[in-house]
Amino acid sequence: MRQPAVRCQEFVELVTDWEEGALDDASRLEFEEHMAICPPCVEYVKQLRLTRAVLRGAAELDRRGPSAPPPAARAALLEEFRRQRGNG
Amino acid sequence: MDGNGTAWDTQPDDEDLRLVNALRVGDEVAFASLIDRHYDAMLRVARLHVATREAAEDVVQETFLGVIKGIDRFEARSSFRTWMFRILVNQAKTRGERERRTQPFSSLEGELDADAPAIGPDRFRSEGRWAGFWCAPPSAEHLPEACVLAAEAGDRLAAAIDALPPAQRTVMTLRDVEGFSAAEVCSLLDLTQGNQRVLLHRARSKARASLEQYLGERVEA
Ligand SMILES: [Zn+2]
Repeated sequence: MRQPAVRCQEFVELVTDWEEGALDDASRLEFEEHMAICPPCVEYVKQLRLTRAVLRGAAELDRRGPSAPPPAARAALLEEFRRQRGNG
Repeated sequence: MDGNGTAWDTQPDDEDLRLVNALRVGDEVAFASLIDRHYDAMLRVARLHVATREAAEDVVQETFLGVIKGIDRFEARSSFRTWMFRILVNQAKTRGERERRTQPFSSLEGELDADAPAIGPDRFRSEGRWAGFWCAPPSAEHLPEACVLAAEAGDRLAAAIDALPPAQRTVMTLRDVEGFSAAEVCSLLDLTQGNQRVLLHRARSKARASLEQYLGERVEA
């Protein structure tokens, strides 16, 4: 097997820059060449994405819980809005 | 490329301008819907800096009061959401530092300087032609789609994120839980794009490690 320019140990440090679109063209190409021939590093990227998916899923579940603004706080804000900005 | 569509500008859109004008002329319905739409997210972001839900509610309340007072000063140099969350983060940080729950963000230097690899060096070969390539690669075991397990994994991840240093915790929560863009986070936290990425990288790397550990325990069990 030909040696890729980027090693796994470097790959895992570049992955965020790659995902954020912050690599220059040459580095991006080297990164993607590595990814094309290294299944464990593909697995690594998948786990990073799974991490985010699990987080978003958990946040969605949270949002279904009872967490509307406390009625008293909401009423106080509306009252203050009326006092300062109302037309009355 | 990644599918999260990094939006680099946080310019106000038509929606923002409509909202700001409605607030300026005293449209109470617009203000009420602003509260309802953002309250939860604001509470979660405030909780990154203060110790209790009550304190976070105070911070959110102060922020909305700041919006009422300051709406005339909104200069449309950022999106409305960025502007509002900037007020929130500043209030929450001030209060958090007073409470001393979190080290102040001035520890940011430390978070950026420390040399912390995404993966411990023992996972890679140290010698020979393949030095730097995996010797203990991440395993391909995956979470089943089942929601129950995902919720369990979610709890583990929440704990891992809670244990992160403050700037990393805040950046990752804003990006990956609340869905803010990189540009918004830079603006909210006064970070350069490069520093934002370093913090995000470290946080995501550690969160992934805790998920991997969780997946490993499930396989052994
Ligand atoms: Zn690799």
